[in-house]
Amino acid sequence: MSSHREAPEISKDPVADSSDLYAFVSPDNPDTVTLIANYVPLQLPASGPNFFEFGDDVLYEIHVDKNGDGRPDLTYQFRFRTELRNDRTFLYNTGPIESLDSENWNRRQFYSVTRVDEHGKHTVLAEKLPCPPCNVGPLSIPDYDKLAEDAVHKLETGEKVFAGQRADPFFVDLGAIFDLGTLRPFQDKHLVGQKLFNYAGKAVNATDKMNVHSIAIQVPLHMVRKDGKKKVRGRDPGAVVGVWTSASRRQVQVRHGKKNDDVYVGPHVQVSRLGNPLFNEVIVPMAQKDLWNSLPPSEDKRFVEFVEQPELAQLLPVLYPGLFDNLAELNKAKTARADLVAILLTGIPDGLIDDFQNNTGETQADMLRLNTVVPPTKDENAFGILGGDLAGFPNGRRPADDVVSISLRAIAGVTVPLVDEKFKPDDAAAQVEQGLTAKDASSKLLKKFPYLGVPFDGFNNPSGEDDK
Amino acid sequence: MSRVHYGTRAVSRLSRRKVLTIAATVGVGASAAGVAGLSLAGEKGGASADDEPLVLSLRDAKKGTFDLFSGGSKVTITDADLAKKLLKAVKR
Repeated sequence: MSSHREAPEISKDPVADSSDLYAFVSPDNPDTVTLIANYVPLQLPASGPNFFEFGDDVLYEIHVDKNGDGRPDLTYQFRFRTELRNDRTFLYNTGPIESLDSENWNRRQFYSVTRVDEHGKHTVLAEKLPCPPCNVGPLSIPDYDKLAEDAVHKLETGEKVFAGQRADPFFVDLGAIFDLGTLRPFQDKHLVGQKLFNYAGKAVNATDKMNVHSIAIQVPLHMVRKDGKKKVRGRDPGAVVGVWTSASRRQVQVRHGKKNDDVYVGPHVQVSRLGNPLFNEVIVPMAQKDLWNSLPPSEDKRFVEFVEQPELAQLLPVLYPGLFDNLAELNKAKTARADLVAILLTGIPDGLIDDFQNNTGETQADMLRLNTVVPPTKDENAFGILGGDLAGFPNGRRPADDVVSISLRAIAGVTVPLVDEKFKPDDAAAQVEQGLTAKDASSKLLKKFPYLGVPFDGFNNPSGEDDK
Repeated sequence: MSRVHYGTRAVSRLSRRKVLTIAATVGVGASAAGVAGLSLAGEKGGASADDEPLVLSLRDAKKGTFDLFSGGSKVTITDADLAKKLLKAVKR
């Protein structure tokens, strides 16, 4: 998956587990950028009596690097606090929840937003903003859409924020991919799969009808750009920002058996990080995934060897015999994948793609890089830049971008000609895909902030229809 | 009080802080102290009030190297005598 449970330690700590990160120029408000960090992945909607929530003991952050050094110049911090109305009931709600201050809503969560500038100055922008409830079901929450809309908060400083449950828009055929790298549309070409199948399969969206907890913030463009410029040229280095999210916990926790006596002290230690989708998941070896999660992007030079010689590129010619011969030759020559280094660690320099760059300089850092001058596309191409749509991944990332297939094609070699005109990608490299699109996700995206769809409700998901 | 060497930052008011429970392990470092009402996720930054908990972790028993956690900060101190006393308290 993009980053759901991508490392051994964080897979056991879902509250702090970042699953996806999005950064895009807002389609309905192109003077702003929208940043969305998803946490608490793989939520089954029917999860009473204790529904999902953010961690009160986790510091959630969304970082923006304005000058390409892999360090934050702007950070938004989100801290959550849970309140219980009634200590005599086992119920999440004791009647319908029709407003964010409903007396029937027993377990509510609030959050503060703090902005940290490039000098480390902390400014609390808002306190005690209410999250929406989880989508329990239509009897408990008759009008969830309205309730969630009320949980969109406009800050006096110009940002717009939302924190709460959403439908997970990510789509991936997880079951097949991690069963020896099978892509169901090509299962009959697979080294082992060809012994089991003589037909192409249909992909399965493993994250369908699952919810996540999203932290979304919409920020005026000039506030994320270097020097606060309202107007920049697309070729200007100041047009590009690097974005990542992190979650941190206190270094020491002492449990006393009673929650109010528990102790959390010491500096924060980062336990989860996410920039480009799939970086820690399929680039970093398992033995170093937890370490990677603890480090800032400015330390990513130590992982460059895994980008230059990605394991997956070695596996493709083996798993799909005869389909990736040119890639196999490239691997055999031990050619360092400068194309992948550019896409993932430095950004794509000017001159490789017509009228486009999202380069942040020489520092090798895994960040989602967004050229903020590229306007939103009306008719999005799910293959992003590979599909000729400069507003999509790897120029930032939109919720409907098929980052799995884009990454597969890039690793298979379609982006090598950006740095080596003589290399001819295998025909299969331009065709390889997981076989899913955003249309295969049951959740429908919103046309306005926070863009991710209404979470699936517990009453209907799973439904009896799913078993038929 | 035995001689104390402080690490990254002076802990001048150590004696005024209320250490409720202390346990120690050699090499690994484990310890406990507890007072209710601490702000979560570092809302108050690095500062801590006198009535907030303080956790002492013995990192190296031979040298008497401790990590001292308080509020949002960690300092390292060296106090071999204190280490001996603590080890004696846990019958090591």
